[in-house]
Amino acid sequence: MGEKFEPNIIGFLCNWCSYAGADLAGTSRIQYPPNLKVIRVMCSGRVNPIFVINALQQGADGVLIGGCHPGDCHYERGNYLARRRMAVLKKLLEYTGIDPNRVRMTWVSAAEGVKFAEVVKEVTEDIRKLGPMQHFKRENKW
Amino acid sequence: MVDNNQLREAVKKTISRDDVKYVVGYEKGTYGFQTTPCFAYKPEDADKFIFSPLCVHNLSVFPMLEEKPPLRKGEEPDKRKIGVVVKGCDSRAIVQILQEKGLDRDKVVIIGIPCTGVVDPKKLEKMFPGHIKNVEVKDDDDKFAVTVDGKTQKIQKSELIPDKCKTCEYPTPILYDILIGKEIKSNKNEDYKKVNEFEKKSLKDKWEYWEKQFDKCIRCYACRNACPLCYCKECMVDQLNPQWVRRSVNISENTAWNLLRAFHLAGRCIGCGQCERSCPMDIPLMELNKKIEKEIREMFEYEAGVNAEEKPLLAMFKPDDPEEFIL
Repeated sequence: MGEKFEPNIIGFLCNWCSYAGADLAGTSRIQYPPNLKVIRVMCSGRVNPIFVINALQQGADGVLIGGCHPGDCHYERGNYLARRRMAVLKKLLEYTGIDPNRVRMTWVSAAEGVKFAEVVKEVTEDIRKLGPMQHFKRENKW
Repeated sequence: MVDNNQLREAVKKTISRDDVKYVVGYEKGTYGFQTTPCFAYKPEDADKFIFSPLCVHNLSVFPMLEEKPPLRKGEEPDKRKIGVVVKGCDSRAIVQILQEKGLDRDKVVIIGIPCTGVVDPKKLEKMFPGHIKNVEVKDDDDKFAVTVDGKTQKIQKSELIPDKCKTCEYPTPILYDILIGKEIKSNKNEDYKKVNEFEKKSLKDKWEYWEKQFDKCIRCYACRNACPLCYCKECMVDQLNPQWVRRSVNISENTAWNLLRAFHLAGRCIGCGQCERSCPMDIPLMELNKKIEKEIREMFEYEAGVNAEEKPLLAMFKPDDPEEFIL
């Protein structure tokens, strides 16, 4: 106990842009916090709000969703749809008293390794400030 | 005030058609003041149909409950229509289902009733505790004439109507085949007073409030079953693999369920208030729905259940949608 709180962040990164951006950040040896656990999805439009809420239930302190820049989506419109969905979800979370900053969204292209590292740094710092997510964490006891 | 004879006449005419399977409407209930949904399969059945301010249910859920059993070899599917008696808000549910292509327009016959507001059963019960038997409610301009045990009282409508009726913008059905009575124009306006007030609270206060509310939930899923727009063949909470929401009743799963239910109705909820009415634990579910409704009105200038030709909110986009939250 008495340890410094290390946030646990789940990242849903789109296969075509953000995941490649993260890959570039890795191959370019850019330093960024190790708090992000990446899950690759084929498109940011694949991210169902249920994924986000489930992640928060299972012990994530924050969720980061990465997609292609508007107009660059491999599937033409997936990131636009995701944007609408997350806009509504964030408002809903705020209304029920969960800090909407726990759910973040970003556009990172495959060429933006530096931006990816910066985004991860920013999100990690923000969530470190917010503290652990304790609102509706799932209790695994039986 | 709706003429019951006129309604029965319309139902009789509808059910006499060859291409109509049955008509759903309201009849006097067997218990207390309540009315229940009833079905007319033959023209004679139409005589039991009524409409009074106690007809609170949203019957547009019934065409979606229609079972479609697998057909035997050589068997023809039943292509007959279903007749539904709808109020203003109920018709918006049908419009929304049509927009999502959950239902064909030529599969329903809509009997529209211009509605001047219904009675909230919970408020009526509170006003007359223990007197819920032999209650009759009649519409009388801006008052309800409530008859309890033979004595008639006139009560201001604002005391008995549910919150949704106070801000109802569409008292006349948007879509109908037969209209009973005259069209009514609404002078009410949705102002989201409750939502705006609650938004001013701090995050901590908000969570304290909702934690208390969600903690009450017993996960009977009555809100889902009563909702005309929750018609998925398999609801995500019934799924076992992957099991997104576990069966246990605790704050974690309850919150997940209530948030997801509200989200699944984003841009679809037409504010009929069935979820809140059917909730046995009195969770203010409409507050969540209204919040989303307000946000999509502000962010995307969209209103559910008004235009059947439009695309569903979350299935379309505009390049200039708000994105100030994106890093």
